[in-house]
Amino acid sequence: MKLGLFFSDLHGIEDTYDRINSQELGVFLVSNGIYHAVLKENGKPSKILNKKGASFYVLKEDLHTRGFSEGEVDSRVKVISYDDLVDLVMDRYEKLAWI
Amino acid sequence: MGLKNKIMFVVQRPPYKSEDPKLALTHALSSGVTSIHIDEEVVPTVAFIGDGILNCVRDQKSMEAYGIISNERHIKNMLATDTKTLVCKEDIERLGIKEERLIDASDMGADMTIKVVPFNEILKEMEENDHLMFF
Repeated sequence: MKLGLFFSDLHGIEDTYDRINSQELGVFLVSNGIYHAVLKENGKPSKILNKKGASFYVLKEDLHTRGFSEGEVDSRVKVISYDDLVDLVMDRYEKLAWI
Repeated sequence: MGLKNKIMFVVQRPPYKSEDPKLALTHALSSGVTSIHIDEEVVPTVAFIGDGILNCVRDQKSMEAYGIISNERHIKNMLATDTKTLVCKEDIERLGIKEERLIDASDMGADMTIKVVPFNEILKEMEENDHLMFF
């Protein structure tokens, strides 16, 4: 399964996420999910980013809305625009889900 | 003016996904108008705790990205109208937000700044207010 997961929260989703496995996994950090890409809670990057084999994307517009910039994004996360998001959703992933 | 009503708005949710923080800010801002219509002076205090402190990060570009007024703009208006605004020290440290990243309204001529305080001080402020509202 090629799965695209949308994250729109900072807390409360880790348990489900930890148990999800997929042949190909894309994690889209949107809305308040963008904080996983930029914050270091208690000095550490988000555990969400530790998932092996997953691709991570953060939506530029949501990043800027919340006062953060590309330079603050974790190196494991790719900054994408809405156009990029649409291309990825249409071309790369078979299933999409909001977590 | 008759009675004095102290109302504390406690913002605990991060910005934008939920309307709650924006409601707290606009309610606090409207306190001055409320005083005109009822015979009570309304004195608001706004405190940001937990993930709610993320409302106070500066340079929010929601107008450019989505055409909506930013929470930063509301907070700057609050500061410009001398609304006491507190941010929990423990929470900004936990989330790694440095004090220089917090919103400042000096460009609008505001004397009031966001005050970073320990949670105990926010608790004391809660005790001193007549009403508490959590958002």
